[in-house]
Amino acid sequence: MNEIIVVIGGGIAGMEAVGTLLSLGHTPILIEAGPKLGGHVASWHKLFPDLSSAGELVSRLQEYMKGANIFLGTRVISLNRLADGYSLKLSNGMVINASAILLTTGFQLFDASRKEEYGYGVYDHVITNSDLEAWLAGRADARVPKNPEHIGFVHCVGSRDIKACNSQCSKVCCATAIKQAIEIKEKFPYARVYCFYMDLRLFGKKYEDFYVNAQRDYGIQFIRGRVSEVGETRDGALQIKAEDTLSGKPLKLRLDLLVLMSGIVRNDSIRELSLMAGLETDSDGFLRSVDNEYSVVESNRPGIFFAGACTGPKTVPETIAEARSAALSAHRYLQRTTIIR
Amino acid sequence: MMTERFETGFHPFVLPFLAGMVFVLGVCALKAVRVVFELNKADRKKWLLSLLRPDLILKNILDIVLDCLIHVRLWKRNRVLGFMHSSIAFGWFMIILLGHLEVLMYCPERLSTFYYPIFFDFFIEGGQTAVISRLMDAFLLIIITGIIIAFIKRFWSRIVGMRRTARPSFLNLVGLYSLWAIFPLRLIAEQYARAGDLNAAPWWAYSTALCVFMTVLPFTRYLHIPSEMLLITMRNAGVEISSPHRGMARVQADSCPNCGVCIDACPMNADPANLRHSTVYLTRQLRRGNEARIREISNKCMLCGKCTSVCQVGVDGPRMRILARATEKYRINLHFAASDVDSSAIGESGGGKSKGALLYFSGCMSQLTPKIGRSVESILRKAAVDYEWMDRDGGLCCGRPLYTAGRLKEAAELIERNEELIIGSGAGTLLVSCPICYREFREKYRLHGIRIVHYADYFCELMDRGRIRLDKGDICYVYHDPCELGRGCGIYDTPRRLISKAAAIAEAPKSRVESVCCGGSLGSLSLDFEHREKITRASLENLYASRADAIATSCPLCLTTFSRYSDRPVKDLAQIVDEQIIL
Repeated sequence: MNEIIVVIGGGIAGMEAVGTLLSLGHTPILIEAGPKLGGHVASWHKLFPDLSSAGELVSRLQEYMKGANIFLGTRVISLNRLADGYSLKLSNGMVINASAILLTTGFQLFDASRKEEYGYGVYDHVITNSDLEAWLAGRADARVPKNPEHIGFVHCVGSRDIKACNSQCSKVCCATAIKQAIEIKEKFPYARVYCFYMDLRLFGKKYEDFYVNAQRDYGIQFIRGRVSEVGETRDGALQIKAEDTLSGKPLKLRLDLLVLMSGIVRNDSIRELSLMAGLETDSDGFLRSVDNEYSVVESNRPGIFFAGACTGPKTVPETIAEARSAALSAHRYLQRTTIIR
Repeated sequence: MMTERFETGFHPFVLPFLAGMVFVLGVCALKAVRVVFELNKADRKKWLLSLLRPDLILKNILDIVLDCLIHVRLWKRNRVLGFMHSSIAFGWFMIILLGHLEVLMYCPERLSTFYYPIFFDFFIEGGQTAVISRLMDAFLLIIITGIIIAFIKRFWSRIVGMRRTARPSFLNLVGLYSLWAIFPLRLIAEQYARAGDLNAAPWWAYSTALCVFMTVLPFTRYLHIPSEMLLITMRNAGVEISSPHRGMARVQADSCPNCGVCIDACPMNADPANLRHSTVYLTRQLRRGNEARIREISNKCMLCGKCTSVCQVGVDGPRMRILARATEKYRINLHFAASDVDSSAIGESGGGKSKGALLYFSGCMSQLTPKIGRSVESILRKAAVDYEWMDRDGGLCCGRPLYTAGRLKEAAELIERNEELIIGSGAGTLLVSCPICYREFREKYRLHGIRIVHYADYFCELMDRGRIRLDKGDICYVYHDPCELGRGCGIYDTPRRLISKAAAIAEAPKSRVESVCCGGSLGSLSLDFEHREKITRASLENLYASRADAIATSCPLCLTTFSRYSDRPVKDLAQIVDEQIIL
């Protein structure tokens, strides 16, 4: 087998797919725009629900894909359709003729500063889920106070919100918020931690246990209701207004740290690439699969496959499973076309 | 040489005209009397007294000539439409005037018949050679040109620059076609008479057309002809709308000529489904007394005020709607003024902590856009202004959202409480960043000499006095005029002056008075999110057309609304100024 499969995007989906393709005997090429592999997960601390290390997962994947051709810091400049494949021109000057392409371009986090009422980028002690994850992973952050007494989490920031132009659920934030609430409670055992939610969507394996643990063992308070506005008092603390919609009462709370659970939105940096490839966009803004039930990894173009969050919000195990599935689909596709030829 | 053709000076065909004339004069007189009695006492007195003041009499006459006859405002907006309307109005007026002059000159004893000036050529022989007659012919031709344009406009409105016109009702169509018929019929009848043919048939037709027109006039848009004159005198007397249906509101509704200029102006037309909520249909429903539709139209409107600013007769659509909303009965009475406010910032219990100093009011909307308050604070600090931020940790609402929702009593309570707080603070100047609050402060508050100033004006002053200096950056901004600040308070220039000192500035095709509402307005009670999105996108398209790199505005609501969909950065004026200050 000498056909080339190009995998675009070196997050966990891309890495898993490349590893699987290698084990199937292909010689995939991985293109990653950033300086390192692992994508979002590489900058995270722990994964739910088992609280296993995110870094270890990335290392395992790196081991799994050993020997693959990888271009870091490289972008696809142009993509042309050929009779039996695609021609890609890369930012490093290389031109690759690929028989199949696997898009694992992932997602981007909703820019929390767009919800200005939460004061991200304006107030001193407002951070996002990804900031907190980086802080938990050991990066210093002046916005996290030394000894916070009251910490709030706001769910659904930029998700299920037509005013943020995203009406879809981001799927992973509920569990992430619970995970991060537990982690921060472990760091600051005397702090009171509040989670403001619309719904808790705890659909996955062991998520419900996770939620019960957070309440019972860690004393985290879950308040159903959105935060309406955030202000900063003269002494630099945060003051939030919200409504407890279960008791029907308005709330005013002083907080020392507010964490915004930024949602998952489509990756805008692949817009041009998807236009060049003639790929369709679904009504939620993500890349469109042939269907959303059976052929999630297949695109409307022959020989182009999807894996991971480029088609919508996904959890880590879903992404990994999809990457294997997409690798297999690409493998079968090449076998079929070889036989025809 | 002119001679009377008939000894009696009468022919039965004048009867339809006379009947129509008596009818229209009678009905209009009754309507006028009713309106005057509907005014509240103070307004009625004000109006009656104004009719005796020589300066106002002169102004009334001048306004009536300029607005009703020559249609100066329409000329300024659209020359073709201006010509069309003034040719018919002014031309007809001149024909009537000259007709009377003719009778006065050649057969003054017939002036009392009423109909001689109208049917002159039938009763008098040899009149057509006189200068007056030639002049009248010229005016008749001008009118007919106007009618030809009106005819074309009826079927192809774009030719006169109107995308959409008001849908006429049946009676309006009767009025329209009879009006169109009057002048060609007059021309034909006159030609018969001048040729010596005294066939009465064309004169019957002419008289009948006049009769039909005058009979339907009180029930159609043509009521605006007499009504507008009454409106002008009342407006010059300072009468304002104080009831949703009666008095001044009725005069304004009756004065609407259904020209439809407000339809194209209305930002809601981004979705054609909302065209039926334009002010022209509000005045129509007010005349019909269709309460359900009045409520629907009133609640839907965003109160951006563009219809009023382009209206040829000055129908105050927003005010009419607010009063219509005020008729709604609510089961629950709210007392927002009773909410606890932390007034320690401005000196508790009116201690007058900030004597003579600057008091900054950012408003509730700015709680959702903290960058604005931050920037204002930063500018004040850089300019070394001594200030207190009245509602930094939350304050009372200025009352405008309640006022626009028609909850006048609740708004008044808030205003009263805020007045206490502000006056008690001892401040000398009230600085306001939100145009919604600013307009409410200006129009509704009595602050006993405390200066109320919008930050655009204030920062301009700081700049002029050298307290702040701006470094001209290389970003090009297009400035969006917020409805409440531009059309609402007439502030257009100071924001542009500030931006042009801090950056390059471009103009959108529709700006200033013509600015398109952002779609986020608090004014609407029932406009849904999808329709608002369409309005926002249409408003953004207008701003994009300037090819600017970024959008500037000076309203927290416009800022939030545009930020949702804009493909380029949206910034508040205060942010731009703050970023470009040279320390």
